[in-house]
Amino acid sequence: MACVYIPVQNSEEEVMVVLDQLPKEATDIIDILKAEQASLDLWLIIAREYFKQGKLDQFRQILEEGSGAEIDEYYSDVRYERIAILNALGAYYTYLGKIETKQREKEEHFILATQFYNKASRIDIHEASTWVGKGQLLLAKGEVDQAFSAFKIVLDGDRDNVPALLGQACVEFNRGHYSDSLELYKRALQIHPDCPAAVGLGIGLCCYKMGQFDKARQVFERVLQANYPYCAMASNYLENHFFYTGQHFLVEQLTETALAVTNHGPTKSHSYYNLARSYHSKGDYDKAGVYYMASVKEISKPHEFVSPYYGLGQVQLKMGYLRSSLSNFEKVLEVYPDNSDTLKVLGHIYVQLGQTEKALEFMRKATKVDPNDSQAFLDLGELLISSDAGAALDCLKTAHNLLKKEGQEVPIEVLNNLGVLHFERGEFELAQQTFRDALGDGIWLAFIDGKENPPSIDANATISQYKDMGIFHHLEKEGHLVELPWDKVTALFNLARLLEQLHITETASILYRLILFKYPDYVDAYLRLAALAKARNNFQLSIELVNDALKVNNKCPNALLMLGDLELKNDDWVKAKETLRAASEATEGKDSYATLSLGNWNYFAAIRNEKRNPKLEATHLEKSKELYTKVLSQHSANLYAANGAGVVFAEKGHFDVSKDIFTQVQEAASGNIFVQMPDVWINLAHVYFAQGNFALAVKMYQNCLRKFFNNTDSQILLYLARTHYEAEQWQDCKKSLLRAIHLAPSNYTLRFDAGVVMQKFSASTLQKPKKSVDEVRSTVSELENAVRLFRQLSAASSLHIHGFDEKKIDTHVEYCSHLLDAARVHFKAAEHEEQKIKHKQEVARQLALAEEARRKAEEQRKFQLERRMQEDELKRVRQQEEQFERIKEQWKSSTPGSKRRERSEMDDEEGGHGEKRRRKGGKRRKKDKHSRSRYETEGAEAEMMDDQEEPEYEDANMNYREPMGQMNEQDEEENVQDPLAAAGLEDSDAEEEAALSTARRRRAFSESDDDEQPEHQPESSPVRENSAELQSDGEGREGGGDKLDGDAALDDED
Amino acid sequence: MKLAGLKSIEDAHDESVWAVTWVPATESRPSLLLTGSLDETVRLWQPDELVNRGKMTGHCLGVASVAAHPSGRIAASASLDSFVRVFDVDTNNTVASLEAPPSEVWQLRFNPQGTMLAVAGGGSASVKVWDTATWDIVATLSIPRPEGTKPTDKSSSKKFVLSVAWSPDGRRIACGSMDGTVSVFDADRAKFLHHLEGHFMPVRSLVFSPVEPRLLFTGSDDTHVHMYDAEGKTLVGAMSGHAGWVLSVDVSSDGAAVATGSSDRTVRLWDISMRGAVQTMSNHTDQVWGVAFRPGGMPGRLASVSDDKSISLYDYS
Repeated sequence: MACVYIPVQNSEEEVMVVLDQLPKEATDIIDILKAEQASLDLWLIIAREYFKQGKLDQFRQILEEGSGAEIDEYYSDVRYERIAILNALGAYYTYLGKIETKQREKEEHFILATQFYNKASRIDIHEASTWVGKGQLLLAKGEVDQAFSAFKIVLDGDRDNVPALLGQACVEFNRGHYSDSLELYKRALQIHPDCPAAVGLGIGLCCYKMGQFDKARQVFERVLQANYPYCAMASNYLENHFFYTGQHFLVEQLTETALAVTNHGPTKSHSYYNLARSYHSKGDYDKAGVYYMASVKEISKPHEFVSPYYGLGQVQLKMGYLRSSLSNFEKVLEVYPDNSDTLKVLGHIYVQLGQTEKALEFMRKATKVDPNDSQAFLDLGELLISSDAGAALDCLKTAHNLLKKEGQEVPIEVLNNLGVLHFERGEFELAQQTFRDALGDGIWLAFIDGKENPPSIDANATISQYKDMGIFHHLEKEGHLVELPWDKVTALFNLARLLEQLHITETASILYRLILFKYPDYVDAYLRLAALAKARNNFQLSIELVNDALKVNNKCPNALLMLGDLELKNDDWVKAKETLRAASEATEGKDSYATLSLGNWNYFAAIRNEKRNPKLEATHLEKSKELYTKVLSQHSANLYAANGAGVVFAEKGHFDVSKDIFTQVQEAASGNIFVQMPDVWINLAHVYFAQGNFALAVKMYQNCLRKFFNNTDSQILLYLARTHYEAEQWQDCKKSLLRAIHLAPSNYTLRFDAGVVMQKFSASTLQKPKKSVDEVRSTVSELENAVRLFRQLSAASSLHIHGFDEKKIDTHVEYCSHLLDAARVHFKAAEHEEQKIKHKQEVARQLALAEEARRKAEEQRKFQLERRMQEDELKRVRQQEEQFERIKEQWKSSTPGSKRRERSEMDDEEGGHGEKRRRKGGKRRKKDKHSRSRYETEGAEAEMMDDQEEPEYEDANMNYREPMGQMNEQDEEENVQDPLAAAGLEDSDAEEEAALSTARRRRAFSESDDDEQPEHQPESSPVRENSAELQSDGEGREGGGDKLDGDAALDDED
Repeated sequence: MKLAGLKSIEDAHDESVWAVTWVPATESRPSLLLTGSLDETVRLWQPDELVNRGKMTGHCLGVASVAAHPSGRIAASASLDSFVRVFDVDTNNTVASLEAPPSEVWQLRFNPQGTMLAVAGGGSASVKVWDTATWDIVATLSIPRPEGTKPTDKSSSKKFVLSVAWSPDGRRIACGSMDGTVSVFDADRAKFLHHLEGHFMPVRSLVFSPVEPRLLFTGSDDTHVHMYDAEGKTLVGAMSGHAGWVLSVDVSSDGAAVATGSSDRTVRLWDISMRGAVQTMSNHTDQVWGVAFRPGGMPGRLASVSDDKSISLYDYS
């Protein structure tokens, strides 16, 4: 049993330390060593023993203690041992640095190693072993030339220093100078024929490398034979040497040897471990796994030697055995609960197992254990992207800053993800800057900064606008390099998406084209260009671009869906259905958008035909409901499907249900900048309208117009006009229609409607029992305008500009002219009446004046009379006074003040009254104010209701997909918006279909009376149900007929 | 180049303001701003304080466009009732009342020489040209149906003419349509020359550069401003940046800048050499239907009018 003896100070006794039974805590032994001031070589021996037992912490502790300032002072004259300790530490850290895979930590280890060697050099600059150590360190760092110099220093002093010769041999080997290397190994062997087998191995290896295979084999065989007597442990350490110098082959050989000679468990475990590691690093995971397993079997407790568990976990992870891997890493974690690598690995495994919560827990812990671990923050951030964008952003920012602080390049993917997160939060400036950082320098800058513009193109060939690559050919011709590294494509694509969002679409289109110029198979770029062309109504170009995408992949669901949408816009119903079906099949029915589109198709089909076939309509509606429901069952929070379902409910008259749905969808939709759902606002307004809540409907339409359409949508203005019409707000109705005409000048239906509303306004004014001349006058001018509008429409109808029935217009012209005649009569009558009234008033006024004059005269007379009487009285009084004076003079006394006092009392009373009155008035005003303020709050409430933007239904954002750096998916999301729109059914075929729907609307409008529903385009009018009823109501009647009846009544009235 | 706000008048009209133009100065008064509105009036304003110099009635159903004769004495307005009213700027006396049924009237422009008035004729798919001496129609410039029209193209309503512009030498007339096509005519011979494609949505405003007679700027609902070489039939460039329809375009008298008004409520100033927006004015709260640079002379002035009933005046330098 190996043991050492530590002499007890000031006595003859010694403490025996059994090397096999070293205390678990290194501090115990350090205390003894210090207390007994043991010689430093004892420190070394014990440390080495710990090392052999794999107790690296204890090994390090002892050596670090043994190289501390205290020891330096106490053992200042013991030079060699101090150097030996420092060199051991240097070698240890060199080894740590060598096996570390992470750059930052690797460097830290090397820095420590360097420090120890430098310290050793300060004790004795000439110590050869220090130089050899330094050489090894430099070799480990890959600084071969400097390593060469270090070994050379030693060899210059002692050309027979074997370790230096071996080092130098290694240098030459690394440089590929195998014959030089061979010479050096040979020399080492000559000098020291007993030197370790490693030398033989080196020789063998050189031969092997030089292609002298036979010779190499002979050498190896000899080595193994010679090696045999050596102890397994020595061979294990040799392996380390070779493992770290990358000579795996030797490691395997040596380990086999070691295993053959030992039965000692821990040693075997180490041997298996070494072997496993060798296979592991070569990528032979099967073999590595077997040997790790063997190594683990020799260990009774993970605490004894945990490394193989780690390795085994890694291999199992690599091979996809997640559960087993998990349990091995958990064992490692038991031993090192704060090991951040283990924590991170566990996090990754849980991600792969789909246990996000658990994964987050470990990742969070990893970031807490080491707040400087950029990788941990990156992992956590990426994991959070799908669940908590805000937190993800914070993590990635931290990682970004850490990487920068370390002076490391921030990976493009990280910058890209950061950019996407900023983008999604609407922080466009930051997003743009981040994408630019990700992209760095390149040809794209010239386009982004507007320095390069596309050349002129034929204005009759603009069909190829977004396909033109002329700009790039031009640049290449001018000698510029048009390059785009593949790893930057995603960031460039995302930047282009951002530019689109900022409406800088021309630049975006150039960037997409740049991507296609270099990577013509990048389908998403075609689709974005197609979307740009579509947004500009250039359908032909858009279809071409989609077809380009389909050439790359004819089953690409996104391209098929877009094509279907375009075909719908082109009114190609049958084709569209086929395309949408193909898309649905391409995704095996799992893609919500495809299902939604088919649902919308059925909805369109149900309401499209003017001559409705109730059976067909019901079938289509049922089908669309089924499809919406299918999407909802897969994705319960799909806003678009919910909207569609709401529409179907509304169609069936379940307004309360649909209102609830729309309200929820609206709230959920307002949380995401990528979700624009005007349809749901319109649908909600339709429901309000159908329920007779006109004020709210108006508000909802107006808000929708302002929020989504820059107030430019003439269709919604038409809805608005219809609502005003129902609410009998004729002037508002007319103004809305005039605005609509101004926005959509070629929509003659609007002119017709404007005519109708003016007609209606006039008729209703004329029906009023009492009307002022002004009212009648404006009636006349409105009628004149109406007649003019109708006449123009009538004239235009011969040009086939619009699809109106000429006869119908003529009926209106007739009716309005008739009304106009009546109005003129009314006007005359009213004028006459007014004259009469004026006359009467004049007479009355005259009478009043006369009366006034008479009254005044009377008053005057009275006044005169009174005055005369007063004067008489005065005279009398004066006379009496005089008489009285006389008497007074006789009595010598008088009391004149009392009367005045009485008077002032009266004044006071009057003043009091006045004040009271004023106070009363004040009170009233206050009341007014109160009622007004109440009104305002009501208004505010109403507004709040309309403007709610809080995304309360977060879970409803299920459409939201994980960006994971690729915003391409957003395409799809955007596409999804369209269907949504489609569910609301807005869009161009609206225009095209105007002719169809106009008739319906026209009828509605002209039937006027109470239950008409002017408009029911497929677009966004889910509440058509209501109108259908109404229409059947009116079906028997001839348009305008009942109007004429009303007119007859009017005549009677006349 | 830069815009600086000088003055804004809120509630300049009782309703949306849809049209604006500058009336050149006469011996007796400086140049004035003329605006037209949905409130059925046309109003005159004197810069820089935008003092109201008169309100003129006599229009029905909203004024969609206004134009001033180069002499500054007469002006014309087009309203939704399809009448063009020509009136004396200083007295508001009606000079002529023009109609050409069933054609409606949209944008109108006098030629630089003042001898003709061109009116965009809406659904008639033509531009009507009136003689300003006799007030007779002297030409109807009809847009031919494009070759290879698809049978699915339903009607001529697609060539609904919205906007019109004269080249600075008065030899060319360009007009913009609902379907985005721009058509170029030889004004002297009243002959159609060619189409300029590129827009596929309504072109509500277009204007020739006063400096380069071939250079034509168009604004469209597709949110873009295009630069065409109207003679060479090429699309020289496209400028994007507006978030809504481009409703109005005008070029500065030095030909270096373009101003646009948009439904996105902003006025933008574009540097032609950079082909990009250099400034965005966000003072309006609703669609900006009209922008107009004061022709000639310093200091430069730009006016804008909006659906928010206000008019604004800027210094351009």
